[in-house]
Amino acid sequence: MYLFEYQAKALMRDWGIPVLEGAVATSEQRALDAARELGEGPWVVKAQIHAGGRAKGCVEGESNLSGIEFSDTVLQVGRAAAGMLGAHLATPQTMGKGETINAVYIEPEIKSSVQLFVAILIDGQRGEPVCLASMRGGSQVERDVSDDPKTLVRANLGAGSQIAAEPGLEIASQLGLRPAVKVGFAQLIQQLHALFMACDLSLIEINPLAIRDNDSLVALDARVTVDDNALFRQPKLAALASRAEVSKAEEVAAKHGFNFIQFDGDIGTFSSGAGLAMATLDALSHLGGRPANFLDVPPVLEVSRVKEAFILVLSDPKLRCLLVNVFGAGIMRCDTIADGLLLANLEQPVTVPVVMRLAGTNAPLATSRLERSGLSIQFVSDLASGAAAAVDRRAPPASFAGSESLIGQLTRRLFRTRTGRGL
Amino acid sequence: MSILIDRSTRIICQGITGRQGTFHSERALASGTQIVGGVRQGKGGAMHLGVPVFDSVAEAMDETQANASVIFVPPANAAEAIIEAVDAKVGLVVCVTERIPVLDMVRVRSYMAKSETVLVGPNSPGVAVPGLGTLGIMPQGIFLPGKIGIVSRSSTLTYEAVDQTTRNGLGQSSCVGIGADPVGGISVSQCLELFMEDEQTKGIVLIGEVGGTAEENAATFLSSLDNTKPVVAYIAGQTVQEGRRMGHAGTIIHYGMGTARTKIDALREAGVSVVFSPVDIGSTMAKCLGQQISAPRDTGVEY
Repeated sequence: MYLFEYQAKALMRDWGIPVLEGAVATSEQRALDAARELGEGPWVVKAQIHAGGRAKGCVEGESNLSGIEFSDTVLQVGRAAAGMLGAHLATPQTMGKGETINAVYIEPEIKSSVQLFVAILIDGQRGEPVCLASMRGGSQVERDVSDDPKTLVRANLGAGSQIAAEPGLEIASQLGLRPAVKVGFAQLIQQLHALFMACDLSLIEINPLAIRDNDSLVALDARVTVDDNALFRQPKLAALASRAEVSKAEEVAAKHGFNFIQFDGDIGTFSSGAGLAMATLDALSHLGGRPANFLDVPPVLEVSRVKEAFILVLSDPKLRCLLVNVFGAGIMRCDTIADGLLLANLEQPVTVPVVMRLAGTNAPLATSRLERSGLSIQFVSDLASGAAAAVDRRAPPASFAGSESLIGQLTRRLFRTRTGRGL
Repeated sequence: MSILIDRSTRIICQGITGRQGTFHSERALASGTQIVGGVRQGKGGAMHLGVPVFDSVAEAMDETQANASVIFVPPANAAEAIIEAVDAKVGLVVCVTERIPVLDMVRVRSYMAKSETVLVGPNSPGVAVPGLGTLGIMPQGIFLPGKIGIVSRSSTLTYEAVDQTTRNGLGQSSCVGIGADPVGGISVSQCLELFMEDEQTKGIVLIGEVGGTAEENAATFLSSLDNTKPVVAYIAGQTVQEGRRMGHAGTIIHYGMGTARTKIDALREAGVSVVFSPVDIGSTMAKCLGQQISAPRDTGVEY
């Protein structure tokens, strides 16, 4: 789960990590008031979205506006807020049109000559948290590191819930920080680590971290993601979950525990298992098909949940074909899939061609049940022929009738993933 | 021979009385897997599915001389269940539970550092050796005793690979689903190493997916060997594009690893036959082995 910058900073403030005083605004008026309350300026107005790269982003319809605006006057604060609020912001880290800006965060602008990058995340190979740091903070940090890997300092932090000052001091030395800054930096690393461990974070990143004239440190930006699997024991963080980041359909899916992502293609997919679901999308894309969704239904015994999953896919108005690819195994049986589709058909009639590849437990039983149902289904024996059939059977749209091959070649549609598999 | 389990493997099931534990233990028992007991705190002394239930793993180990455990405990308690098994010196622990908090697994990995227990998972479909049995949730009836070792990060795609190597008559020596969680037990490379040493295994199927660096590490391992058996790999998620992300650290930590492209390139460089569709796994393996061994035979396996 992603936190907005202002949420991440509130959390950091609770843990003693130095951040600036700031204010959240959801209207132009509130932004103006907030700016006055924060002092005499200058200020920074920052779009609150669940992605980074905001300074390099562009607010939809406002070619002069990025997601980070420096403002010398209250009037400029108001103008920036008015331009951002309600608009989309596309950045190098978002997809498509970008994310809707529902709030801005206003902070005093501070000048600093040195800006660091510092982050803690899980090193999967070592199986423990690792700290990454660089003297060259800012949005170009990835490029700097790939150009010159030596600019990155890396330190594993062990598995304990607390660390001593030494790892932070060691990182500070490797970065070449001045002695006056070192102790504060080491303390900051300890605080970030304690927060990371106590709140089940999967990422905490400060970029940039500014060194001020008096040698104190302050976080100018903050990125925090929380391990979704640990939300059950982080009720305060779970309560911050923003519904704004998911579509209505994705919200329904989340309620039922489906792993579901909507795309703008026209071939609906239904699979069980994230790997098989990904392979289904791969197979369609290789043939020029455009998936309408990613759906991984976890193994279930209840037909009702399978029904809900089918309704979810079938209710997409863009749908022109449905490809079901299930390997019945363990608790997930093919006859449950068949019954789920038949029940879904009663509530959300199937109006598009259906291609089904059923294998594994009770596949013949499922097939015979579906054949008796009168639904028009093409059964195939493997994924490749299923994907080919789905791309073929997709009824051509009125405006493109007769140019199927063109459509086929048109796109390998880009899509985003939220499967939580480390992307 | 096989890897990880053999004829002497005696299994207890942690969480045997739960719905998943019951479902899968019942099937495993029916197929001849040696499940000799179960663990559920508070239900010690009872019988379930014809095997005794104990209050603790230690007690179950004492009474049944088990040497392996399969875990079907809910995510909030799964880490403790693994640690209990490690404390009881269980040789092989297969954790099927998914959605375990990653910091719990950090704690478990650190706890296991000096232990001899081998952990498979979490979020693992288990380990199967055709003719011997299954620990976990892999389906019965798709296996054929044979010569292909399968190691996979994806449960359902494991079954695809099994299905194809059964259909073309190659069969499987052993099959391990290691799970795709960021922090887990046995790695792809460690499984490859076991398969390289296993005489029965003549070829290896590796099923990876985007994210993490397990496949790149496996490629490094394979490159370090003088002689390798043929390896066929499929990487799921080739068309997945990186989506919305937070900050830069996630990209920086892997230095240009972790994508389908980097994995495929690394594996090819190491001499692995990478297929672009899971459908081609079985036929490609047959082709690889055809040059060294006899042509695949038709066993007429059906469902």
